[in-house]
Formats: sequence, structure tokens, C-alpha cells
Amino acid sequence: MSSVPHDHVAGHGHDDAHIHHPSGIMRWVMTTNHKDIGTLYLWFSFTMFMVGGVMALTIRSELFEPGLQIVEPEFFNSMTSLHGLIMIFGAIMPAAVGFANWMIPMLIGAPDMAFARMNNWSFWLLPPAAILLILSLFVPGGGPAAGWTMYPPLSVEMGMGMDLTIFAVHIMGASSIMGSINIITTILNLRAPGMTLMKMPLFCWAWLITAYLLIAVMPVLAGAVTMLLTDRHFGTSFFNAAGGGDPVLFQHVFWFFGHPEVYILILPAFGIISEVIPVFSRKPLFGYASMVYALAAIAILSFLVWAHHMFTTGLPTAGLLFYMYVTMLIAVPTGVKVFNWVATMWRGSITFEAPMLFALGFLFLFTLGGFTGLVLAIVPVDIQLQDTYYVVAHFHYVMVAGSLFAFFSGTYYWIPKWTGTMYDERIAKIHFWSSLIAFNVAFFPMHFLGLAGMPRRIPDYSQQFTDWNMVSTIGAFWFGLSQLIFLYAVLKCIAHKGAKAPAKPWEGANTLEWTLPSPAPYHTFEIPPVIK
Amino acid sequence: MPDLGRSDMSAPAPRDPRSEQQRRANLRTALVFASIAAVFFVGVIVARYLGGVETGMTMIGLIGLVFIVVAIGRNLRDRR
Repeated sequence: MSSVPHDHVAGHGHDDAHIHHPSGIMRWVMTTNHKDIGTLYLWFSFTMFMVGGVMALTIRSELFEPGLQIVEPEFFNSMTSLHGLIMIFGAIMPAAVGFANWMIPMLIGAPDMAFARMNNWSFWLLPPAAILLILSLFVPGGGPAAGWTMYPPLSVEMGMGMDLTIFAVHIMGASSIMGSINIITTILNLRAPGMTLMKMPLFCWAWLITAYLLIAVMPVLAGAVTMLLTDRHFGTSFFNAAGGGDPVLFQHVFWFFGHPEVYILILPAFGIISEVIPVFSRKPLFGYASMVYALAAIAILSFLVWAHHMFTTGLPTAGLLFYMYVTMLIAVPTGVKVFNWVATMWRGSITFEAPMLFALGFLFLFTLGGFTGLVLAIVPVDIQLQDTYYVVAHFHYVMVAGSLFAFFSGTYYWIPKWTGTMYDERIAKIHFWSSLIAFNVAFFPMHFLGLAGMPRRIPDYSQQFTDWNMVSTIGAFWFGLSQLIFLYAVLKCIAHKGAKAPAKPWEGANTLEWTLPSPAPYHTFEIPPVIK
Repeated sequence: MPDLGRSDMSAPAPRDPRSEQQRRANLRTALVFASIAAVFFVGVIVARYLGGVETGMTMIGLIGLVFIVVAIGRNLRDRR
């Protein structure tokens, strides 16, 4: 690990010793400080990651062998549905917002988020929503079992658990929209003097574009589930075929949200990786402007490809071709990004600390996940692979090895700034290698299972799929346990059991947060820095 | 990418991030985006309620047009 010999500590607005802020539990309930709220988001995300992880392990335990062993099929369906909802809305999105809260004001030289109270509210909407989701398991009729996509007619006919889920989605959507408005306003209005948009760190660009996406698509999801609710309780027939409605219509509306949502989950990860790779390559990012344009191109194209999730619903041939080609087109800006990351490393003075290892893990596995996405974009292939384990493998390579690995990378990269303590490099490397191997043991065999025809969302399967399912289950438990190493590494930093972090622990880092002392003071950049 | 670490912390701030003017600017930005969110939420339901893809597309097109006209109008006013 490289560290600078002297802490170059820039001035900040106040001496923290003279600042009064509440302590104890009320500090966290009442806080309007972006760092506190960022911490709350990150812990909430990790908690939900564990809850969703336990559900994943329940699924994998049931699938260890053919036949029904542990849970009833209805409960299994609830597990797959809630696992998806919790991981997407409870774990990955809040983690990305946590990073945004912690880092965006510091990266652009702002004192805090533009709307500090709304920021607090955005976070505190999440725990009730999570409780509603989990409570849905215990109401008559059981939890939502229609998949995370909540397709009708199943979702129209289900029990009360679906109502709780719809309400939870509404609350989480409101939280996301408020968070997005806050992020956009902060970035557009509170940048330090001299920091033009094209001087902004790429993490901020990635979040600015993500926030635009969220504002465009979250209300559409809210509209879709509102129509679902009125179909269930108020006699409308938006999606009820018996009343003249169209269940496929829900799929169109849902995926108009759902596909940009994939990019909402991955663009902040792109931002983190774009910060980490140049620092550990000790080179400026290759093609900054093209990276920004690629982010924007991915975001725009993400609105035009939703029906590639619906190739088997009887779309007209012209539609199939359009969605196939546009989906493939997304590979171009994504390829630009991957090329630029590799070009940044080319002839760089690379060191392999944990943030860089996770970034490289991301790069390799996300590219693999992206490639299987291209395979699925081909209509005749997709018709064969629709709803098989190949799709499960594909999106876990994108979501877990993509978003999650990037968040691990970001955590190890910025935790010296957050806690003032260096993480334990040895433990972090064990975490990386254990996660990398376990992840591939868990998810790579799913490609084989899918190609062999194993359908997803089933608690039982033919005997021919047994071996790879066993391997996958072992990998899943291994991956889950590996995350306890991450928890230990983070707790060690929080307990200050480790070397004291200098203001700039990474030799190649040159963004604004590294001009602050470590840990970052409670209030920062009250006097805006001037960017030259 | 420019070296953002080379910042002059002692230079006087040209603006106060918590000034009334800044607050109003923040509120304006937030209201624009909140209105976009509201239009999308109501729009998707109304479009489906009235029935037909045409209604939805017309609505989204009109909304896009209005936002572009407003944005150009504001830009022209600021230049004056």
C-alpha cells in the first residue's frame, strides 16, 4: 500500500471540537449530515444484503437435491420473489445511495446535500418499507410469490402479502425519487467554483445520470403497481383479462421501468470503478469525455430496449428485430467503458490493493455477464433460454460481480477516509479471493443448467440437473460466509483496530476528498474550494 | 482528467451555498424534477385509463415539448 509521507490536509470550515451535534440514537434519527445519512444507508444496505442472502441460501438449500426437502413450494416462490425485491430495492440501490451521500458532496466540494432534511426523510422511509416486505411473509396467504416482477394475473389474485409489497414498493420509490432530486440538485447547484461539469469526478457523473434515470422510471413503476392495486381492490381491469384488460400490458410498463433499473444498479458501480482504476494504475483515466458520453448513451439506450425481456410474449417480428438490434447497440458504449478502463491500466504503475483487486474482479466478471447478455439479446437464442437458469446466471454476473464487487472496491477505497483507520489488507485480500472463487462456484454452473434446460423459479427439478445444483449450492454458502470476512474487516476499521489513515493514503488519488483529514470532519467544505 | 486535488482553499467563496438565492435555485431545480416525476406517475395511469398506446405517446411527446420550450425560454431569458 502506498502512502504519502506527509498528510496534505486542506482547511475545512470548522474545528469539529466546537460543533454541537446530537449523540446516541437521536444523532442517527435526527441527523441531516450527509456523512451520517450515508453511513445509515450503507448499514441498512448491508443488513438487507444479509436478509436477502439468507433467503438466497434457503433457495439454494432447497435446490441442493431434487425433490422437496426443506420448504413448501409456495414459500419457495415467496423466497425467490422477496430475495429479488430485497436485493434490488433494499441492498444494491441503498448501497449506491449511501456512496452518493458520503462521497458526492466531498467530491464536488459542497458542504452537504442540497436538501438535508429531505435526505433524512429519504433514508427513514426505507426501514418501514423493508419491514412491510418482510412482514408480508407472515400475513394470511403468505408473501408475494409472483416473482420480483409482480406479473399479473398471479399478482392480481394473490393474498394480502401482495398489498404489503405494493405499498413497500411505493414507499421505496418515493424514497428513491427524493434521493435523486437531492443528488441532481446538489450536483447541478452546489459544485465548488471552477468545477465545471466536465471536471467532475466520474462517480458524480455516473450518479447524475443514474438520478435522471430514477426520476424517469420510478414513477412509472409506481404507476404500474398503483394500477395493480386498483385492479386488486377497486374493480378496475387494467391487467385483468376477464374485465377487458391486458396482463402483457403490465409487462410493458414494468420493463419500461425494469430495464433502466438494471442501469440504475450498475452505473454508480461504473462510477466507483472509474475512480479506483486510475488511482491504482497511477495514471489519469483514459478518455474522460468518452466515458461521460458512454454513460449518457447507455442511459438513453436503456429506455429503448425494454421488450427484450418479452421476446416470448408474441411481439411482431419487426419489434423483435428492433429490440434485438438496439440491445446489441448497448454493447458499444459499454465496450467503450471497458476499453477505457483497460487502456487506463495499460503501462500504468499498477499495484494490487483490495480496491483494485475488486475493480479487476468487477471488470472481468461484469464483462462476462455483459457478454451473456448479448447472447440473450439474440431472439432465437432467447426464446430457448427464456426463464432458464442461464438468465439467472447472466443477471447475477451483472448484479453481484458487477454492482456488489464495485461496492466492495469503493468501501475499501474510501473506508480510510470514512473511519480514519486503514483496513487490514490481508483480511481484505482473503475476502476478495474467497468471494471471487465462491461467486464463480455458485453462479458459473448455472450457465450449464440453463443451457441444459433447467427452468428458474422451481423448487424441484429433474435428476439430470443434480450435480451442478449441488456445486452451485456449495458455492452460494461459501460466498455468503465470505461476506462475514468483509463485515469483520469493516468493524475492525470502525473500532480503529489498524494503522491510522493519512489524509491521502493512495499515492495516485487526486480528487477533493483526499484534501481533507482522515476521518473526514463532520462538516466539510463550508468554505468552497476553488478548482484551478 | 484535471488534478482536482490542486485546489486553493483560502480563496474567498464567491457564493454562499446556504444563501437565500441558492436555496431558491435549489428549490426551482427540485420542483422541475419533482414535476417530471409527478407527470410520469399520473401520465402512465391516465394514458392506460384512457386506453391506447397513442394517448400515452401523445402525452409523453407533449410533455417533452413543453419541457423543451420552457428550457429554451429560460435560457433565452437568462441570456438577455
